[in-house]
Amino acid sequence: MADADTLLTGQSKAGDWRSFERVILPPVRDLHKIDVYEAEADGYKALKDVVRDGKFDPKGLTDEVKASGLRGRGGAGFSTGLKWSFMPPVDPDKPRYLCCNGDESEPGTFKDRQIFEYNPHLMIEGIMLAGYAMTIKTCYLYIRGEYDDYIQHVQRAVNEAYDRGYIGKNILGTDFSMDLVVHAGAGAYICGEETSLMNSLEGRRAYPRIKPPFPAQVGVFGMPTTINNVETLADVPLVVNRGADWFAGIGPEKHPGPVLYGISGHVNRPGVYEYPTGMLISDLLEVAGGARGGKRIKAVVPGGSSTPPLTWAMAEPTTMDAETLREAGSSMGTGGLCFLDEDTDMVSFTRRIAHFYHHESCGQCTPCREGTGWLEKCLARIDEGNGHTRDLDLLLEVCDQMEGRTVCALADAAAWPVRWGIKRFRDEFEAKCRPTAFASGALGGDGATEQTGELTPTGVPTT
Amino acid sequence: MMTPDTPGPSVSPQPQYVPGQAPPRVIPDAELVWTDEEAAQIETFRAQYPTPDGAVMKTLWLAQRKWGWLPPETMHLVADTLGVPYAKVYGVATFYTQYFKEEKGTFVFDVCTCFSCQVCGGYDMLHYLEDKLGVVKGGTSEDGLFTVQEAECLGACGSAPMLQVTNGPYVHNLTEAKIDQLVDALRQGAELPFESVTLPQDGDEMGGNRRTDAQAVETYQTPPVSDTIH
Amino acid sequence: MPQVTIDGTTHEFEPGAKLLQLCLDAGTEIPHFCYHPAMSVPANCRQCLVKAGTPIFDRETKEPVLDENGEQKINFGPKLQPSCSLDVTDGMVVHTQLSSQEVAAAQADNLELLLINHPLDCPICDQAGQCPLQIQAYKYGPEGSRFEFAKVHKPKRVQLGPNVVMDAERCINCTRCTRFTAEITETHQLTIINRGDKNHPMTAPGEVFDDAYSMCTTDICPVGALTEDYFRFQARVWEMAKTPTISDFGSAGINVDVWTKNNEVLRITPRQNLDANEYWMPDAARLIYETYNEGRASGPTLNGTPTTWEAAAREAGRMVQEAGSDVLFLGSAYATVEDNYLLMRLAEAVGAPAPQFVDRRGSQADDGFLVSDDPAPNTEGCLRLGMKPVDPALLPSAAASARLVYILQDDPVQAEVLRVEDLEGTPVVLHGTHVTHRTPATVSLPLAMSVETLGTYVNRDGRAQLLRPAKMVKAMNRSLLMAVGTGQSRNDRVGTPFDRWHDEANQVDCLPGWATIPQVAAALGVDLTFKSPAKIMAEVSAQPAFAGATHGAMDLLGVPLETEDADVPQITA
Repeated sequence: MADADTLLTGQSKAGDWRSFERVILPPVRDLHKIDVYEAEADGYKALKDVVRDGKFDPKGLTDEVKASGLRGRGGAGFSTGLKWSFMPPVDPDKPRYLCCNGDESEPGTFKDRQIFEYNPHLMIEGIMLAGYAMTIKTCYLYIRGEYDDYIQHVQRAVNEAYDRGYIGKNILGTDFSMDLVVHAGAGAYICGEETSLMNSLEGRRAYPRIKPPFPAQVGVFGMPTTINNVETLADVPLVVNRGADWFAGIGPEKHPGPVLYGISGHVNRPGVYEYPTGMLISDLLEVAGGARGGKRIKAVVPGGSSTPPLTWAMAEPTTMDAETLREAGSSMGTGGLCFLDEDTDMVSFTRRIAHFYHHESCGQCTPCREGTGWLEKCLARIDEGNGHTRDLDLLLEVCDQMEGRTVCALADAAAWPVRWGIKRFRDEFEAKCRPTAFASGALGGDGATEQTGELTPTGVPTT
Repeated sequence: MMTPDTPGPSVSPQPQYVPGQAPPRVIPDAELVWTDEEAAQIETFRAQYPTPDGAVMKTLWLAQRKWGWLPPETMHLVADTLGVPYAKVYGVATFYTQYFKEEKGTFVFDVCTCFSCQVCGGYDMLHYLEDKLGVVKGGTSEDGLFTVQEAECLGACGSAPMLQVTNGPYVHNLTEAKIDQLVDALRQGAELPFESVTLPQDGDEMGGNRRTDAQAVETYQTPPVSDTIH
Repeated sequence: MPQVTIDGTTHEFEPGAKLLQLCLDAGTEIPHFCYHPAMSVPANCRQCLVKAGTPIFDRETKEPVLDENGEQKINFGPKLQPSCSLDVTDGMVVHTQLSSQEVAAAQADNLELLLINHPLDCPICDQAGQCPLQIQAYKYGPEGSRFEFAKVHKPKRVQLGPNVVMDAERCINCTRCTRFTAEITETHQLTIINRGDKNHPMTAPGEVFDDAYSMCTTDICPVGALTEDYFRFQARVWEMAKTPTISDFGSAGINVDVWTKNNEVLRITPRQNLDANEYWMPDAARLIYETYNEGRASGPTLNGTPTTWEAAAREAGRMVQEAGSDVLFLGSAYATVEDNYLLMRLAEAVGAPAPQFVDRRGSQADDGFLVSDDPAPNTEGCLRLGMKPVDPALLPSAAASARLVYILQDDPVQAEVLRVEDLEGTPVVLHGTHVTHRTPATVSLPLAMSVETLGTYVNRDGRAQLLRPAKMVKAMNRSLLMAVGTGQSRNDRVGTPFDRWHDEANQVDCLPGWATIPQVAAALGVDLTFKSPAKIMAEVSAQPAFAGATHGAMDLLGVPLETEDADVPQITA
């Protein structure tokens, strides 16, 4: 790879993934029970090693996580150890908080739910380790309200851990104490955004906050706060038990580690799969049993609804890591892949995504509150056959008006699938449009289509 | 139609309350109280957060579980109990979709139609339910038993299409037959079991489900074709 | 001091400044809606986007990195930033819409988005003409809209409370109103409800928005979503003339704009003065607008019979002369410093005891904000002039034993310090304002109210502030008032084309004290003539208690008076 100036090599970066042994969701029956977790999965060993036996001091643990190359699994892919190191020095008068983000509302994403159900103690252990690394007294575990059953599973696991002395006062007989509070959401996608999650915890309308100040300075309840995704924290005990080198050695160098891929859409065996990062999308299609009904896959959404959809030609040589996906023209997001077969109507598909963001916009910032509705209304018109080709350029311009102009990234997340949906599947969109004198591009479009007075795909000469 | 209704002139959700006009009372005064157990639970909630506001969401959940939905007087009670402004509680309750601001049927079907479900027939399931129960989404069947709603992604994309019953159990891998069963079971007062969904890799490595205590087990299935997407 | 370059011009700034406020202070307008200097900054309207960059320094040498022209390289981020929440840093380079096409385009984009679900009903909207959305859409917005779809509908004509009406469709969700009730009055009566483009402000179910300052939300509402109930559909703002003056509501010295049309006060709004009322005023101080229009004492009377100003002044002068030192003079905490001063001079001239005034402090509850325990506006001014509060226990006998009671702008019977019986047999000269006065008058010389005169009030904190005439009185026409005044009346000087200020229909036949008291004095041969109230104040400001309080110095924002003087009783707010 050293001499290649492209990451899109068509080669897997996941190493020997076929013999990869699952570690986040290892094949151990009844792992969600604390006895099984302790006995068969080295459960709470990392916590004991670190907190009781001094394997790492807080700084050392942060450095170890930094060295492991662990990057957030919630979508942004920021270095976890680095994030931890942003916490200010301990001030005894200032409580500081850890928030574990289990809001998991990004369409196409369903990986954290498997951790809640099958291996909650791994996450809890990770939370405790993170709390130790940052000298935190209280962690809020925010789980979306729809996961009612899973909240109960997690609460049960938390109670078990309290009973065993892994959470609470003087953990494992040391002077490290920390509480873990499970907080249920109530139906708002925006709560997955870290600052609106904090507002939600504070019992407010979950509006994202402006940054700066960043959560590490002024976070939940006005105090220094770190927010990590569920899967990210679940990786921490693995790093401690097996070492940063082991973790860093899995998958591509810049984005290593085991990861849960949530595969949905038109595949024979959808579901959550655990593999190294850097899996070829085509390998993931293979493990998921290939396309349903022997169809051809046309498009892939690689990391949840906000990540730009890729055509199959673009997706095929692409591996699932942040750098490669960026080069391919999308992003890793949450690792929730949705495969779409050749029969899929990309206009309807894009319209549904636009509907989602219109529904979920918190309404705080103008471009998002107004723009999401505009996108949906315009896409609906096209989808129903009443659109005009000029609407496509209008849509792209509305996307321009939304992107990068709001407090949080929801407006960007709403605009990307529309922008890239149109750019990458423009012929499908145009086929649904009524031709107009103002055919695509004539009003200063995006240049994605040739405009030389020739016939447009809809058969009408451009002016 | 495979996508949501044409977005058009949408009106703020009902009910709309008019300042100065007392909203109709639903819960009589005598019943508008916390039991000792609930009061103790609220105290626990309070203790979990540095401010009383932090406990608002949990207390609203408690109220909704108790009364089925959140008529204004219950939100007022929550506000008074926690010492938080009433308007603030109302603002919070209206922000989140899972708090019911209007009375619903005994069972609320939140049918996911977001894109993973959409391409696997989420709208077919929604419309089947609508036709079966004689309602349009958002409406409640005449017997008051079932409300059908269109939901955004519920985080079960691998077992699409799916629905959630009254903010509670998930029902995965929906088919028309499964919906028929579900409706019949609920009509007969059955408790819905928790459905554990097998991981595909568990199928290979462990021969199926990894939980021995699961009440019901679903395996991931080849998703159906959406009848209407093409 | 650190420096920032805005559109090529360098400005110095205090550390901690936010960019938008800095630009506004420096005279560079950046369009904005949600930002309000008195409240938290949510940066939610996204209108004030600018392009801001910081200089690049070499990581090792810490030296600035220069480009090929030897200019310092600036790192502009990938995104435009809202200036309201942006901390200004040393060396920052800012491009506003004035110097960046990108910024101007982004602001136009945002305005297009703000308007797509807005009803665009300016022709029937009370906010039109003073609407930040309308004004900024014209200045910075796009030519038209490309939005071809049905707009979102929301509740309209919602009577949120006794004084505020909401049209939620016009709302742009800037949250100024909800932040006002949460942060300024802390009544938390308003919240935004729902989510996304269905958002709008609302009270809790069935609750009434009866905050004592509720109409402040209509002032800060940058669109026509919240309007004052009493003012709805009364007049277009461009038909009215707006006069910056001081409210006579209470001792807080609330700076106001008085909006008049055809010589009627139609509306009162707060005027920014960070040393007095900041941006706010209570609803009660607005709802008194009718008292300036209705029930006014008009035209001088003698024993209840209308007469001429000359005859009335002559008769009053005769009565004062006759009574000599046995006149009981009552000044007033409602009258200006100038009028009270002339009354003191008159009393002095006839050798009568110095005027006293009815002290109303403590007669109502103090709300800890802008409603104090004193409903009168100029108690502090009276005290500084050396006037003493009347002793209610002694006043009746003093009135009974006096040969004449001379009252400036007060109603002691209404104030319950005198009964009508106490005045039986004692003639009264009254400079009153309303026909509802309960104190019987032998000679009535109707007095111009605070909105018709030029003069000075001193508020509870010892701030001398200048009143300006907003409406015309019949007895002295506007031109005369302008000539004798400081020329600082209505900004437009002659009203708008729609304002028939010259019509006499609504002009009250009354005169300011500084016009009538010299007339009365002249009748007894005392010369109290001043060329203008400004000249009176120039003389008063020679006293240490009023040092510096000339009309010129007070201007729009007033002058804080010295409070060290031990003789001046302190009033605690």
